[in-house]
This record gives sequence, structure tokens and C-alpha cells, in this order.
Amino acid sequence: MFDAEPFPEEEESEARLKILVPIKRVADPENANKVKVSADGTQVTSEGLEWAINPFDEWSLEAALRLTENRAEKKRTGEIIIVGIGPNDDGMMRTLRSALAKGAERGILVEADDASLDSSVVAKILAKIAEKESPDVVFLGKQTADGDSNVAGTITAEHLGWPLVNYATQITVADGGFTIKRELDTGVQTVSVKTPCVLTSSDRILHPSSVKNGITPDDFAYPESDHARTAPLRDIMKAKSKPFETITLDSLGIEAETTVEYTQFELPPARSGETTYVESVDELVQKLHGDAKVI
Amino acid sequence: MHSYYPEDLLAHAVNRYKADLRDMRFLMFEQFNLQDLLGKAPFGDWDQENIEMVISEIYKFATSVLGPLNQIGDEHGCKVVDGSVITPEGFKDAWAKLYEAGWRTVAVSPEFGGMGSPATIGILTDELLSGANTAFNMYPGLAMGAAEVVGHFGSDRQKKLFVQRMLDGRWGGTMCLTEPHAGSDVGASTTTAKKNEDGTYSIKGTKIYISGGDHDLSFDDNIVHLVLARIDGAVAGTKGLSLFIVPKRRVDDDGKNLRDNDVRVVSIEHKMGINGSATCVLSFGEDDECLGELIGEVEHHGMRQMFKMMNFARIGVGIQGLAVASSAYLNALEYARDRKQGSSVKDWKDPSAPRVPIIEHPNIRKDLLEMKAKVEGIRALIVKLSTHQDRETALAGKDDASAAYHKGQINLLTPLVKAYSSDEGFEICAKAIQVYGGAGYLRDHPVEQYCRDAKIFSIYEGTNAIQSLDLVGRKLGQAGGANTQAFLGDIQKFISANKDHELFADAIKQLQKAHEAVGGTVMLFLGWFQSGFMDRIPLVSERFLKMMSELAIGWLLLEQAVLAKEKLADVSDTHPDHAFYTGKIHGAIYFAKNILPTVVGTAKVISLADTSPNEIPDAAFGI
Repeated sequence: MFDAEPFPEEEESEARLKILVPIKRVADPENANKVKVSADGTQVTSEGLEWAINPFDEWSLEAALRLTENRAEKKRTGEIIIVGIGPNDDGMMRTLRSALAKGAERGILVEADDASLDSSVVAKILAKIAEKESPDVVFLGKQTADGDSNVAGTITAEHLGWPLVNYATQITVADGGFTIKRELDTGVQTVSVKTPCVLTSSDRILHPSSVKNGITPDDFAYPESDHARTAPLRDIMKAKSKPFETITLDSLGIEAETTVEYTQFELPPARSGETTYVESVDELVQKLHGDAKVI
Repeated sequence: MHSYYPEDLLAHAVNRYKADLRDMRFLMFEQFNLQDLLGKAPFGDWDQENIEMVISEIYKFATSVLGPLNQIGDEHGCKVVDGSVITPEGFKDAWAKLYEAGWRTVAVSPEFGGMGSPATIGILTDELLSGANTAFNMYPGLAMGAAEVVGHFGSDRQKKLFVQRMLDGRWGGTMCLTEPHAGSDVGASTTTAKKNEDGTYSIKGTKIYISGGDHDLSFDDNIVHLVLARIDGAVAGTKGLSLFIVPKRRVDDDGKNLRDNDVRVVSIEHKMGINGSATCVLSFGEDDECLGELIGEVEHHGMRQMFKMMNFARIGVGIQGLAVASSAYLNALEYARDRKQGSSVKDWKDPSAPRVPIIEHPNIRKDLLEMKAKVEGIRALIVKLSTHQDRETALAGKDDASAAYHKGQINLLTPLVKAYSSDEGFEICAKAIQVYGGAGYLRDHPVEQYCRDAKIFSIYEGTNAIQSLDLVGRKLGQAGGANTQAFLGDIQKFISANKDHELFADAIKQLQKAHEAVGGTVMLFLGWFQSGFMDRIPLVSERFLKMMSELAIGWLLLEQAVLAKEKLADVSDTHPDHAFYTGKIHGAIYFAKNILPTVVGTAKVISLADTSPNEIPDAAFGI
């Protein structure tokens, strides 16, 4: 554990955590009804979508911010590098800038077509950037709200040969790494991991005392909220002037060769909106379990 | 800390606020081309990207922090405990988050710690904050209005001591005009100020209807009241009034609270709506210990100074009307798409026809389209006004003639924004209840609260009758009528350029007729003024304000529609913008053909010059 007392200058610089946080922009889940499938059914069209940060990435960014700050004194104590992969358009830039506005130190955009990306290509890119930047942590959302593949973090760790901890719900900075609680179907598992490592998290990371970094006092409680922090006005205005780099796949020596081929997309069937009234809980359970087979 | 509220109140709170950010973007960057002013002085720090980011972050804040507190504030209201106002549960936390995020100072000058955005961004910020929680937003809104007055008229010392503290949440602020016998007739005020040897004044009197007159929100537990009072020996009426800074607690020059300043909360009012906002009766100087200082150290300029705040507040009330009406409409729309009742009118002979969502019923569609056209038209009118403000700011000192044109339009449009938006805002909320049917009358849905909250908008900050007299008696003739001529000229230009439009020629014909009706009525009024028929004006001025507002809105909606038609050519029909632009076209045509003809009818009514309300004896009104 770090000492809770302020560090002398030089020690503090040694202790600065450096975290790479990949950010994907996805069709705004609040407006998911605007998502459309192309006429031939082979792709989801992105035309005219309202873009938003992938909510899972928003949570991993929140965790990374908590790891690299003294919240009680409102000071940044580490470094976060945002990585976006995709087209260099307004939706992408707004998503990345809003991450910078929340506190990340700098950003990288790897320009690529959405259609030429899958989890495998993304993991290659992230591993390449991690090799270049040597962060202590690559911190991903456990999945994206659009593809739901849930593997980019795992493949990235494999490429790097780094340990991986998925589904982190509580993180405590420990000597040379972290003690992490993971919430699984079977219970809560506590693991220790050394840096450098790859982490993924879920929404439980928003809990007021989910992250103990030894710098923000341990008794400090983040606000009870279903949402990650929002960027204050002053920091939105500053985001424009933070270092930002745009690079190409070529410059990383990566070919965008996807391993997954999507053959067919279908929109979920429209709901009938019919209402069925039930007389008792037993009947409700019967309907949900026996007829609708949803429980 | 002892809680005055049931446990778990906050845990069950839900947001019902909705706003249309696409329409805001359309106004800023497609219709009124705000981007022309960005990236250079005085808006050098601003560009389209950070504006959109700010608006979307504020919307998140509005829906996640303020929205869930709206019903709590309504149902639990404010309380007076030991002589102090306790605001509803959650308000204090929301205040802290609001100022931490900085949303109140988006458009505030950097001189006072703000970000100096165009006024338009401040206006849209206010829509989002007011719409999510009208009652809450009054506390910071009034503090800001009062700070603007001190910032504008205060001495250097007063600016330094008060303004930033009132803008960053440390201190609250109010405006204290009304007294039991001095409401609309503010010149009848009896609060007195007696000059002391050290230059301060001893204030004594009672003020009523003071919004945010006391609260527990400000970080440093102080509230700066701006109090209209008459210095001993000053003349009667409004000309004898002076404006004083009267803090709840006396402060030293470093802003440290020294002692209680003898400002007492006598009681708070129990109201129809905005229950989360404490409406106070305040008593100043009961123990002769209430000290105030003269703003800017000039005597008898109180009304002029207060008008600065009044204009700001009047536009603010227009925004309140828009804000709740917009959310009422969007909630009603969602309900109409979901609620099934009855079969399609096309199947009226078939009793076994499937039930359809009520949005398929023509009368509901008509209500929804009218609400849509009015909400978007009012928003366009307000943003038109704010872009005049921004252009005036950008042109001041560079092109005085153009700046004067914009200034003139601001003056002319302010009463329209205040009165039309507040009258129609209330009507739109009522119509939203109607769309819900019986469900809308219940507290399970947000629209009945919107309706109750909205009623006050047509009353405070100068009743809408006063707005209409301000328009007809003062604004129409201002600058020798040049502002009115410029306004009518702008609309005529649009009509001439588009009168043969392939799609909108019919609609624009209605605009032309409404334009002639408004122009003709202005000439009629001129004749009445010249003939001394003053007593006729108050009988019709509200009607005229409505006519002129609807002319302006018809124009702005048709301007949108012409633009939308052009843009549609480049948008595939699966693109969400396709529906957006199509909506603009239908809204404008509906307004032109269903509302603008009533402008012509109203002109006819006014021309009849009926004076029966003036002629009927009082006793003849009834028992």
C-alpha cells in the first residue's frame, strides 16, 4: 500500500500510475431504436446515429480516474491515455474529448473503418500501443454495448503476455500491483495481480468505495450514483488543448484483417404491445416460466 | 444530521424530464449560424464541438441530478424551522454538484469567473436546468440575476465583494420589490432607507413573494437581497426608489460573515406549484439593525437598475415556459405512442378491429402537432432573441449601427418571449394532460405538476398584461418605431424571397396575411394614441402581443421548413434526420394554416374597438 501521507516530489513521480484506457463510441444505448440494419442484412448502418461512449468503457474510465487521483484534494496523481479506434469523425472526436474533459491526460486516435475492425484487430492495436507506451495497466470495459463480444481485453492480455483480471468490482492498490475483487456467478473472488496487467470492469465499480488507491483517503466516499462522473465546464474547455495524436494502422504495422465474418443481422421482432392481466403471482410465474420461457 | 424527510425518499426518485437536443443543435448551427461568431473575440474559446459537449453534459446533469428531485420538491415543499427555510431533500446536494460542475457560469463573463459563452448557450442551459426542475433552478437563477445587477451598476468594491460569491454558489441572491400593497404598482413601496453617518442605510419594511428569500443551499450561508426602498425625503412613486444591497448576514471586505443583519423570514407561502422554491415574506429591520448599502452609491436610480434584472428575469421566465412545455409535449408524445385505446378511425365499422396506440387517432395527432409546432416555435423565438444578444455583443464598438439594430430587436422581442411563452407554456401543459386523458390528471405522470408549476409564469416578473402594455405602449414606438419597422421588414424579406416556393407558397400566403394584419393593427394603435383613446389599449394589448408573437413564430417556423426542405435532399430516408426535417415541414405548415389565420381574425376583433368592459357599470358585473 502507498502511504496515505503526501509523497515527496521524486517518490510521487515514481508512484504515478500510467493507465491506457481504450474508448469505443457506440450507438447511444438511450436511442438504440435508431439503429438500422443495411438492406442486405450484412451490417448495421451507422448513418445518422447518435454516438455515445460505450457505457462499459465509461465505467473503466471512472475506475482509472479513481486510481490516478487524490479525489479529496481534487488533484490528478497519475496519467491516463485514452485510445480510440475508428473513423476520425465528429462522433468519435466528441467521445474522446469528453473522456479528456473528465480528466484523462492525453489521447490517441487510431484511424480505421468500423467495418475493418473486430475484437481481434482491436486487441492487436491495443497491444501494439501498450508496447509503445508501457503503461502499468490497460483498463477496458468488460465488453462493448454494440458487439457484446467480451474478448478484446482477453486477447490483448494474451498478445502482451500480461496477467488479466476480468470483471473487477473492487480494486485496492497493493505493493507492485492490485488486490482485486471480482464478482462471479458463484460468489466474490479476491485475487492479487502485479503490474503491468490488463483489467476489465463492470458497473459495480461505480460503488462509492470500490477503489482504494492509497492516495485518496480510504474513508473518502465517492457519491452514490448510477452514473460515472460528468465533466465540469472548466475541464470541457481545457480538453481541446490536451495533447492528442492521430495515427494510422499502417504506422503501427497492423493490417486490418478481421477474423470474424458477420453474415446476418436482424432487428429484434417488434413487440406486440398486447397486455395480459393475471390474477395471482402463481399465474404470473406460470406465464413467465411456462409460456414465455423468460425465467 | 437530523433529516426532515422520510427515509429513502431519494432512492425512489425518478427522472421524467426530456429535452430535444437535436432541435437545439438545429437552431444554433443550421438556422441561426452561431458558428459565424465562434473561435474569435469575444467567443474565442468556443467552437461547435465544445458547445455540443457542454449541452450534452448539462442534459446528463439535468436528468440525473435535478430531474429526480422535481417531484420530491413538489410533494414535500419547503419548511420553516427555527426561522430558517429548509429546502426539499436533495436540493443542497444538487446545489453543490451544480456549482462544482460550473453549469451556472457558462455564459458569465470571465471577469467574474465565468466561461464567457454566447448568451445562446446560457439560454439553452437554462432550458435544460429549468425543465428538469423549475423550482430548484430558481435559487441559482435569482442569485445570478442579482449578481448581474451588482456587476453592472455596483461600485468597484461592491463588484469585488459580491458578484463572484453570488455566481459561484457561496452566496445566494434575491430581488425584493413586491410589498403587500405594491405589486404591479411598485411605485407604492413603503420600505424606507435612512442614511447613517458612515454612509450605510438603515432599511425598514416588509417584502412579500420573495423567491428564494431564505434557503439552506449557499456554501457560506449568506444571501444578498437587492431591496427597493425609499430614502427619507425622496419623492413618491417609482422615481423616488433606490436599490440597496442588503445581505442576510453583514460581511467584512473579505466576505467573512460578521453578524446577523436583522432580515427575518416571517413565513413562506403555500402555493399551487413550484413548491420546491421558497416564496418568502421577509421583514427588514424589525429591531432597527438592518443595514444596506446603495448600489453604485447613486440615489433614486432603483427602478432603472432593477429593470436590468427584470429584463434578464423576463427572458428567464420565457425560458421556464418553454422548458416545461417541451418536456410536457415529449412526455405526452411518448405516452401517445404507447397507450392503446380504441381502433383506427379507418376501421370504425368493425368492432373487432385491433386496438391502436392513441397517436393514430386524428384528434390526438392534431394536439401533438400543435404542441410540437408551438414548442419549437417558442424555442426558435427565444434563440432568435439570444442570437440578437450575441450579435450585438460581437458587433459592439465595431459596427454601432448593426449593434443598435440587434439591441432594438432584443427590446422588442423581450415582452413577446416572456408573455407568449408563459401563456402558451401553460396551455401546452394543459393539452399534454388532455392527451394522457385521466392518467394525466394523476400524480403518477409528470404533466399535472408541469401545469401547476407553469401557472405562475404568466404572473411573476410583470404580469402578461403588463408585458403587453410594455409592448404596445413603449416598445412598438421605441426609436421612433424603427425597431418595429425592422422586425416587419425582416419578415417581409423572407416572404418576398419565398412566396413562390414549390412546397410552402400556400403557407407563406398565410404569413403574408398575418404580416398585413399586424402591420395594420400597429397603424390602428398609432391612430388611437393620436386621438387619445388610451383606455382602449389595455382591452386589446394582450391580444396584440399574441398576434405579433404568432407572426414571429410563423416566420421562424417557415424559415426552418424552407431550410429543412433543402436539407432533406441530402439525407437518405433511413437517416434519423429525415424524420427530424420532415417534422419541421409539417409543423410549419400546420402552424401557418391553423394558427396564422387566427392572427387575421384577432386583427378584425381589435378593429371593432369594442369598449364594453370599460362601459359596464361595476354593479352590473353581477352579485
